[in-house]
Amino acid sequence: MFLNLSYRLRRLAPIGLAVVVLFAFGALVVLAQDAPAPLDVVNFELCSDFGGVTVDVFGDAGHNLKPYEFWADDFAQMGITVNIVDAPFNDVYSRLQTEFIAQSGAFDVVTFYPAYIGDFAGNGYLMPLDEFMGREPAAVWDPVQDDVLAPFRELYNKFGGETYALTIDGDVLVMMYRQDLFDNPDEQAAFQAQYGHELRPPETWDEWLEVGEFFTRDAGEMLAGETLEQPFYGLGEYGQRGFSYAWYLNRFASSGGIYFDENMNPLINTPEAAAGLQNMVDALQYAPPGVLGYGYDQLRDAFIQGQVAMVVQWTDVPKKAGDPTQGSVIAGRVGVGRVPGTLVGDSVVHRSMMPVGRVVGIAADSDQPEAAYCIAKYIAYNRSLEDVSSSLTGLDPYRMTHLEHPEAYTMFESEDAARAYLEGLQVALADGFPEIFIPGAAAYNDALDLQVNRALAGEVSPQEALDAVAAEWNNITDSLGRDRQVELWRQALESYRALGLIQ
Amino acid sequence: MNSKPSLTNRVLVHGVLLFALAVFMFPVLWMFLTSFKDSNTEFNRFPPILFPAEWKVSNYTDALTDKGGLRAFGDSLVIATSTAVICTFFGAMTAYSLARFRTGGQDFAFWILSTRMFPPVASALPLFLIFRELRLLDTYSVLIVANTVFNLPFATWLLKGFIEDLPAELEESARVDGCSYFRAFLQITLPLITPGLVVTALFSFIFTWNEFMFALLLTRNKVQPITTVLPTLVGGHETLWGQIAALGMIAIIPGTLLALFLQRYIVRGLTLGAVKG
Amino acid sequence: MTVSTSAASTPFVSWAQRVFTPRRVVALAFVLPALVILLLITIYPLLYTLRLTVVQWELSNARAPIEFVGLNNFGRVLGDARFWNAMRNTGILIGVGVSLELVIGVGLALLLNQVVRFRSVLVALFLIPVLIAPVVSGYMFRLILHADVGPLNYLIYLITQGSSRGFGWLSDTHYALMSIMVTTIWQWTPFLMLIALAGLQSIPQEIIESALVDGAADWRIFWSIKLPLIFPVLSVGLLIRIMDTFKTFDLVYLLTSGGPGSATETVAYYTYLKGFRDFSMGYTAAMAFVQLVIIVIIARLILAMQKRQRREDYA
Repeated sequence: MFLNLSYRLRRLAPIGLAVVVLFAFGALVVLAQDAPAPLDVVNFELCSDFGGVTVDVFGDAGHNLKPYEFWADDFAQMGITVNIVDAPFNDVYSRLQTEFIAQSGAFDVVTFYPAYIGDFAGNGYLMPLDEFMGREPAAVWDPVQDDVLAPFRELYNKFGGETYALTIDGDVLVMMYRQDLFDNPDEQAAFQAQYGHELRPPETWDEWLEVGEFFTRDAGEMLAGETLEQPFYGLGEYGQRGFSYAWYLNRFASSGGIYFDENMNPLINTPEAAAGLQNMVDALQYAPPGVLGYGYDQLRDAFIQGQVAMVVQWTDVPKKAGDPTQGSVIAGRVGVGRVPGTLVGDSVVHRSMMPVGRVVGIAADSDQPEAAYCIAKYIAYNRSLEDVSSSLTGLDPYRMTHLEHPEAYTMFESEDAARAYLEGLQVALADGFPEIFIPGAAAYNDALDLQVNRALAGEVSPQEALDAVAAEWNNITDSLGRDRQVELWRQALESYRALGLIQ
Repeated sequence: MNSKPSLTNRVLVHGVLLFALAVFMFPVLWMFLTSFKDSNTEFNRFPPILFPAEWKVSNYTDALTDKGGLRAFGDSLVIATSTAVICTFFGAMTAYSLARFRTGGQDFAFWILSTRMFPPVASALPLFLIFRELRLLDTYSVLIVANTVFNLPFATWLLKGFIEDLPAELEESARVDGCSYFRAFLQITLPLITPGLVVTALFSFIFTWNEFMFALLLTRNKVQPITTVLPTLVGGHETLWGQIAALGMIAIIPGTLLALFLQRYIVRGLTLGAVKG
Repeated sequence: MTVSTSAASTPFVSWAQRVFTPRRVVALAFVLPALVILLLITIYPLLYTLRLTVVQWELSNARAPIEFVGLNNFGRVLGDARFWNAMRNTGILIGVGVSLELVIGVGLALLLNQVVRFRSVLVALFLIPVLIAPVVSGYMFRLILHADVGPLNYLIYLITQGSSRGFGWLSDTHYALMSIMVTTIWQWTPFLMLIALAGLQSIPQEIIESALVDGAADWRIFWSIKLPLIFPVLSVGLLIRIMDTFKTFDLVYLLTSGGPGSATETVAYYTYLKGFRDFSMGYTAAMAFVQLVIIVIIARLILAMQKRQRREDYA
């Protein structure tokens, strides 16, 4: 009985509130989004009119959902209204997993971090896309996957050889530093005097600590010839629960680590691994006091607001750091380089994690998969250059097309600067180290992140933390079925090798 | 106190109280001020600024329209109202039975109360699985049911106290005049405990309005109560503090009104009727 | 139901007449709707959960079978260091947090009891935090405790004349749990204050006056007269606070997500992670049951204390 009542109330509510909406509408018009200008560098045609359907799109809240607002007119032409459902950044897995298990049909297009593709596709929660992708005419249906950089295509989109998702954000970490500080002759001289060698952007994680220590200053001290009004810190780390593990894995991977051996025995607690974690723990003393609460935005802001000398960050941050309208006080003073590495033998091995990233898939229980696909393909291909080259979003390049059009990145002061940015990005990608993509990835990552975070917080030693991870990883593997996991892991190793990501 | 407190004593008492009040009010005040600040330019400032340079009402309109605050407000309203009505009505019936007939004795009454002690996660798990089978997740009804689990025992206990305060003779004389139990309940008892009904309904409303965990786990798209919309304003990339504060200010309206205007019954409501106040 | 009055007085009918007196039928009829609702939405789920505790069911893996594992899940819960860490954190929130709420609440009530004018206005203002959604109070404190731009750290900056920029309240292992505690204290102290005030006001004036005549000191009156007299009502408030603190979820979810490390993981939050992130149904159900048992024990203890107190009062 109350069911009927509430549904009736629901239908009435909009009418009752119409007056309020009318007033609010004025504000809405004023706030109409500014969107990037269409560049029309790729050829595409829109799907034919669906005659007024609503596609429910799930994604993590914030600027990466902006493209759905940018191109709403085109969606309207296809007869599609997009309804956005957003979740906090750290909640994507649990919210989606909850819905996939509930099968309430709440979402058509789902945006997620590709590490979960094994979990989602492996459980049959996603619809295979190959059939849509092969339809004619190609201008309507083909997302031109050959244009997508290999790791973002092979690892992000596929499970068991089939395509289940399309990349919309290609992530890799880079190091960013304050070029002006490293170029300052006084600082160079002081560094030379203190450490006996030249000041340069750190090549290794040991140098990361050294430079971090050097640039950490109290308020009142001098930095590059100016008296500091506020304390200044040498470096920043991602310390928040959720993705702090990736900042540790940069160190782990460069020392030659890989998650498991061929038989799924964890290799995460080797002495080299513990040394890597110790390095991250040590680094915290040169970071701002709140660093364990730093997620993407706090770490970004600490850097672009001039509080720290260097950070390792995602590749969209240089775009924001170069753009004073995004709050940057250091525009034009930013250097971008390879993530520091580890001295192995007599050469330095650099490894950049490729954490997060975003792909769109279609829920297996979607009642309008075709319209959903049209939206997914539009975002993944038709206007993707416009989206990744805009500082309104946090999306990062993932297609050849994106790398070939430096002129699109207008937030840089010159096309040369944009070109340098894109080249740096390619260097980082060449250093790229993959996440775990097999089923259970979310659980493996979460177990790792918890323990890394505990070590950072000083609750346990690095070795204890990593031993606990190894034990927990074995539990996860067992509960998912060891034989199947071993088989999938071997396939994964093969594809990592084929892509040249590991030896 | 029979001896008139000295002036210094009185000043001291009032001073401490006002200081404490300032401490307790400050978070609300700060959120109020933040709700008019510009998230980009006025939040990330050290030292923090007290008053916004320009009072941005757009935080409110933005949060309500763009961010779905208005819809969420409507959803919360529907869920909280339905829960309040159900809990009050059935709670009153049960309470009547417990108070007048001592149904099931003390143990039964305590058992009803003890269902409120359930850890919500413990209820959420089976409710999630059961409503999944019924294909009723992400609807109003699932949240109404979940909130009823917690509020019906509360409503029963609260109303039991109100009915016990009422002399039974009134109903008995009506019964002598030929009224059925049910009519006596409807026509004599209920009108006499109107304050109790109002208090019960309002508290059930507030508890449901403020509820977060069930809303988080049992709904996602078609229904989004206000408590679940707030966290989505914290993106991994930007935190819309101005709008969060604005929506927060809107979300606390019902609770604040209750605190200001129903003070007389709050003790009773919050203690499940155990303390009459 | 028992309409036949005279004719067929078989033993059954007479039994039925004795048991189902009209009065009892009516009593049942009144209690039935709520009983059905409660059975459906509390007892059925409870039994459902109980059934889950004896299986291993990894819902996150569509392929995994549901296996009967006996009491294995309970064994695993009891041996789970993370569970006990969460219990410890929850225990601290209850032991330290609720105690502080009690002390501050009673203190404020004693002061308020001396105020005559504007008391109800003061009380109403104090009460606002109690009726605010914890989600909102969580955000209020994220604003206040913000490490870089929060007013609290600015206050510290002013007091120390710039030598300290304050602390990472939510990100430092040493302060994170305390920060959550401060938020709950802020929100719930007025609740205990209100109850204590209600208790104080119901104390007959004569008792206090006669004590004053005997020359008892203020603190002595409080300690041996007022406190014992308000204890029964206060214990109800305490019971509610302890049970609700045991369920602390919203604030952890909003303020720290259990971090840094596992410094602020409460038992409710950990159960949520196991249930709605990992979807280990059996394990979560076992954990929920352990909590239920603990809560019931606490409730019984406090109620017993209350009863004993009452007996002593009458003795």
